[in-house]
Amino acid sequence: MRNIAKRFGATQALEDVSLSLYPGQIHALVGENGAGKSTLIKVMTGVYRPDRGEFLLSGKPVTLSSAADAQQHGIAAIYQEPLLFPDLNVAENVFISHQNRGVMTGWGQMFRQAEEIFAALGVALDVRKPARGLTLAAQQSVEIAKAISLHVRVLIMDEPTASLSAHEVAQLFKLVKDLRDRGVAILFVSHRLEEVFEIADVVTVFRDGRLISTRPRRDVTPKLAIADMVGREVLVQPRKPAARGDLLLSVRSLGREGVFQDVSFDVHRGEVLGFAGLIGAGRTDVGLALFGIEPATAGSIVFKGKTEVIRSPRHAMACGIAYVSEDRRQLGLSLPQSIFANITLPVLRRYLNRMGLLRTAMERETAESYRKRLTIRTPSVDLPVNKLSGGNQQKVMLAKWLNTHPALLILDEPTRGIDVGAKEEVHAMVGKLAEEGIGIILISSDLPEVLAMSDRVLVMREGRQMAILDKKDATQEAVMTEAMGQQGAVH
Amino acid sequence: MNWLQRNIRPEQIREFSLLLLIVVAITIFSALIPNYFVPRTFDRIASSVAIIAVAAVGQTLVVLTRNIDLSVGSLIGCSAYFAGTMAGLDKGLPPIVVVLIAVALGVAGGIVNGLIVTLGRVPSIIVTLGTLAIYRGFLVDLSGAKTVTTDSLPKWIVDLPHASVFSLGKLDFTVSIVLTLVIVAIFQFAITRMNYGRRFYAIGSNPDAAQLIGMPLRSTVFTTFVLSGALAGLAGFLTLARYGNITVDNGRGLELQVVAAVVVGGVNIFGGSGTVVGAMLGAVLIGTLEQSLYRLDISEFWRDALLGLLILLAVASDAVILERLRALWSRTELKLIDKPPPQVGAVGGSPP
Repeated sequence: MRNIAKRFGATQALEDVSLSLYPGQIHALVGENGAGKSTLIKVMTGVYRPDRGEFLLSGKPVTLSSAADAQQHGIAAIYQEPLLFPDLNVAENVFISHQNRGVMTGWGQMFRQAEEIFAALGVALDVRKPARGLTLAAQQSVEIAKAISLHVRVLIMDEPTASLSAHEVAQLFKLVKDLRDRGVAILFVSHRLEEVFEIADVVTVFRDGRLISTRPRRDVTPKLAIADMVGREVLVQPRKPAARGDLLLSVRSLGREGVFQDVSFDVHRGEVLGFAGLIGAGRTDVGLALFGIEPATAGSIVFKGKTEVIRSPRHAMACGIAYVSEDRRQLGLSLPQSIFANITLPVLRRYLNRMGLLRTAMERETAESYRKRLTIRTPSVDLPVNKLSGGNQQKVMLAKWLNTHPALLILDEPTRGIDVGAKEEVHAMVGKLAEEGIGIILISSDLPEVLAMSDRVLVMREGRQMAILDKKDATQEAVMTEAMGQQGAVH
Repeated sequence: MNWLQRNIRPEQIREFSLLLLIVVAITIFSALIPNYFVPRTFDRIASSVAIIAVAAVGQTLVVLTRNIDLSVGSLIGCSAYFAGTMAGLDKGLPPIVVVLIAVALGVAGGIVNGLIVTLGRVPSIIVTLGTLAIYRGFLVDLSGAKTVTTDSLPKWIVDLPHASVFSLGKLDFTVSIVLTLVIVAIFQFAITRMNYGRRFYAIGSNPDAAQLIGMPLRSTVFTTFVLSGALAGLAGFLTLARYGNITVDNGRGLELQVVAAVVVGGVNIFGGSGTVVGAMLGAVLIGTLEQSLYRLDISEFWRDALLGLLILLAVASDAVILERLRALWSRTELKLIDKPPPQVGAVGGSPP
């Protein structure tokens, strides 16, 4: 690959990336959330077309127009959750994407060949069984068999181990090494540094859509890799800490089965507690548990000095907890409805007159006050929300939840996908709210943002709380080290 | 249990229990209805089953790809009526031409359904609910609400229900029964042994994965609607041959029986699993119930209500029982074994 670039709107997802993969080599790709790894995979598998740059396969330039096209060129991808056909049997799953299969399905021959491939891999699997019910690891072995049967030359593995147990990871790695020894070029994308160092021959680090470094494994240490990952310039102005008020929320050993466990922290009035970690670390799940959308199954929550068992968002709201969700479209806003209707929706009861009808004038009044306070840029609060820019939608969302007069505000990725100006405004707003004495939990994948805004930072990794760092100790390196599970390697 | 698990799939248990259900139903009816075991009963049930089964074969293909075709009742009515009218106008038309007219009409209806579903990206349940009404409207309007009568038909059509291909004891296997069996056999073969047919399963099982490997999703779904239309047309011809008298009301509500046959026959309404043979067994059960309850003087409305109940039971048992069975059947973990010594010439294999 040479000079690959890809833009989405204002975001430069990939900038001038040149990467070479060699047969018989496992090339690991690491980087923070949003570093451009997924975009690169999509470019390589023909899902996205790059804006610039060229793609060479065995020295010849190729254009990939679809995933099927990429597969024809011998490029395949295996994802965290393999895309198999659950109703078809294992053998058919292995051979389904063979083009020119002919007219007839030769079951006997297909079973035999599938059995041969699995035997050669050293996998005991009944090829006549339907793929439904295979564990993720078993499904991945089917994908690997498929890659072999298709004579794949480049195999991309995107977080293949994220949901596997340690034992399964070891099994999978045996298969991956087998594949490497057959001369396949493997691109291995993972959040788990220790795995990267176990299996990779070459390690490449991405940051902000750029390739930062490519080094042979023996020349890299975890410390070096993390330094490359986090070395971005800090643009966010640090927030002046507000006076810390009374204890507001106290969480002990909170858990939800199979999702996260043993999370304990305190939030005071006027304090911003940042939640850092990689995608899938369970940060959002803690937020969802506190707000009762996916209630916790273990641990205790003491809010305003009272023990609360939060089972529903209604209950959470009654307590004074508000949750501004990550996804504006799905959980947050009703896009075709007007701004004021969105803002008053959670507390519509307040706006009823004695007849039980809505006092729209009063709704507008409320919306107007938030428009001024949060500087929502719109000619009228009657406008439907989908006419607003992302940043202004985010502010409407914030207004909606501030209008419930919360004591605790959970902000989940409040600045994702909005421009720099709007981002600064949201940051200023967070500071102001903290000064007003609201306790804030800030979940964000934007590491500099978390560090600049938070009084303390809680780091999660794979559903566990790794550390709570004070502002003075919370450097990018320290947080990433905890998030990647490489403590000891750096200190 | 292990032997069972290796040799029988949960879906086959489903088909076997359906067979058992048919036997039970026939036993009960034979006790309730005097003179039940006579060739005439077989004849009636079989000719009713033939119509449902032929349309159900097409419906199976559609449902396998996560779609549904509700317009089959109207298509059956249309093709029966127009094929009957043409045959009446020109008594010299060769039989094959009359059949082709019926099938062509069905194909036309299927093309419209398929185009709107695939190009318009409208859910098939809405599209075919619409065309169900539209095709019926065409029929009523173009026919001027006249009726095709037995008198107007050429003799070969009137005689067709009695034309026996072969006999088993006292039971006559008429042309329509044999035709149905041939169609079931062809399509069962196609969806189990032909790569094109396997696509229906793949697409219904996981559309995203099918798209990813470059399977032509839309053209395949389109094909299933065209086939469903063609088979509905053929079922229309069988209807014409069976009744002779065709009103504009003909085939009304038949979609309920066809969908019931498919669902009761074990085709998963969410696509991806089920067989043509299963759907035929479903049609046998429904035809048997339909005809026997009619003999017991049970009103049409109660019979339809019973069909509705059967659909719900089948879907519920699919969701509860079959899912459990499947879970029990196929919980498979990755297991590594010793590899054989490396051989010259890596395993890879050409496509089978």
